[in-house]
Amino acid sequence: MAYRYLFEQMVRRELRQKYRGSALGVLWYLINPLVLMGAYYLMFGVIFDQASEPDYPLFLLVGLVVWVFFNQAVVSAAPSLLDQGALVRKARFPREIIPASVVTVQLVTFLALLALLAPVTLAIRGTADIALLLLPLVLACLFAFILGVALAVSILHAYFRDVAPILSAALLPWFFVSPIFFRPESITEQATARFVLEWVNPVAPYIGAIRDVIYGGIAPGGAELVYVVVVAALALLGGHALFARLQGELAVVV
Amino acid sequence: MTAFEDSLRPGEIVLEHASRSFSVRADRGRTLKEMLIGRRRAGGPPPVEALRDVSLHIQPGETVGIVGRNGAGKSSTLRVLAGIVPLDCGRVGCGGQVVSQLELGAGFGREFSGRENIFLNGALHGLQKEQIESRLDAIIAFSELGDFIDAPVATYSSGMFLRLGFSIAAHLDADVLLIDEVLAVGDEAFQRKCEARIAQQIAGGATLVLVSHDAALIERTCERVVVLDGGRKVFDGPVDEGMPFYHRLMGTAEAIPPEPLGERVSPR
Repeated sequence: MAYRYLFEQMVRRELRQKYRGSALGVLWYLINPLVLMGAYYLMFGVIFDQASEPDYPLFLLVGLVVWVFFNQAVVSAAPSLLDQGALVRKARFPREIIPASVVTVQLVTFLALLALLAPVTLAIRGTADIALLLLPLVLACLFAFILGVALAVSILHAYFRDVAPILSAALLPWFFVSPIFFRPESITEQATARFVLEWVNPVAPYIGAIRDVIYGGIAPGGAELVYVVVVAALALLGGHALFARLQGELAVVV
Repeated sequence: MTAFEDSLRPGEIVLEHASRSFSVRADRGRTLKEMLIGRRRAGGPPPVEALRDVSLHIQPGETVGIVGRNGAGKSSTLRVLAGIVPLDCGRVGCGGQVVSQLELGAGFGREFSGRENIFLNGALHGLQKEQIESRLDAIIAFSELGDFIDAPVATYSSGMFLRLGFSIAAHLDADVLLIDEVLAVGDEAFQRKCEARIAQQIAGGATLVLVSHDAALIERTCERVVVLDGGRKVFDGPVDEGMPFYHRLMGTAEAIPPEPLGERVSPR
């Protein structure tokens, strides 16, 4: 806890450094995902309109905002330890702070986007329901899951520089098999394919649970909730254990 | 902090049978396969043994100079003491607040003002906001940066950059000060001020470990000297015996400049 203030400073530095000197500054953190979401919306909401869901744009955007959080956090966490090499080589402090601050910045962006999107969705869909009370739990689990993945990815990339490129390559197909534009049950009849789409992809239940609450106005299924909690705990514990195991040589390899 | 470090008194330093080697391959990363099976690739130059079975016990308040030729293991020793690089075998611990000045201004955000960097640097040493605020004026005054403190560090001259780095490190209430050849900061007046500040911290009970090629500085500042050669400790004792030993080792006992060829030349 002694390094609480360092964490705060690193988050602030991360927020301001990247776009310092640009005219729009911190707003870029919102513009990037908004443009990305706009492009995908145009592509899949207008041009290839599936229209299998009511208020399809909202269906799409609620899924997208979760994916964009995951995507941006993991992509920016991967090279973070190398980016801060000067600190890692010369000072002693808990190195977890570096990827954690990167993920926290993306969390702030995500919450800002959600704060724009959720009230609109709730109003249009009329889904303000008691199930909303589950949202904080699901969001906390999402954060823990992403933080765990970010810890693992950042420490692996410090030793093995192919991790970030592999990740960038994997994220695009991963995006397409994630249930963002579709529900697994509406695109396949096959039980195995459906199972894979719903449960093998760890991001899918998070998208499903958040969409259930905000877009559907219903509580997520019991299995989905258990999955969301258990995977968050596993990712965080696993990511932290891996980080702790490998971080010793960090000052030598970055 | 490890449990071992908790057992030490503030300012006490223990290094027991410390060994550390570094791979000297050009690409420093390891492949995923090596990492998973926990082995390094064979071939290439053998690893450099930076420290070989070095033991040191330094009491609180001692002033210790570490000397040796380039590559003798001086900086590695400091990085090990600072807890930045782990040992291959042996153990290490420093009691209390350790302030390492391995490179002044390391990690300064160049886009940020001097003032903002004071906060970041203080936080790196585990200080909270209020603790930094209470020292802010002293740090700024010591750095002699004046109005430049609110200008981005990128606009600083290298002397200003180092002065700010030293000023921050000098106000962190160190129990252990680890300093690597960074005292040639700014002009001569500022150097005197740095030395005076370090002397003041020593008088306050801090332990000093200083790596330098400046023999006169070591003689002025340190009571004890450790001579390293090829990663081994070859002398450990009072400075008035240690420095002649060092000069004999370097083959410069008779020569006027104590610096061997290619070393950093002291400004004085």
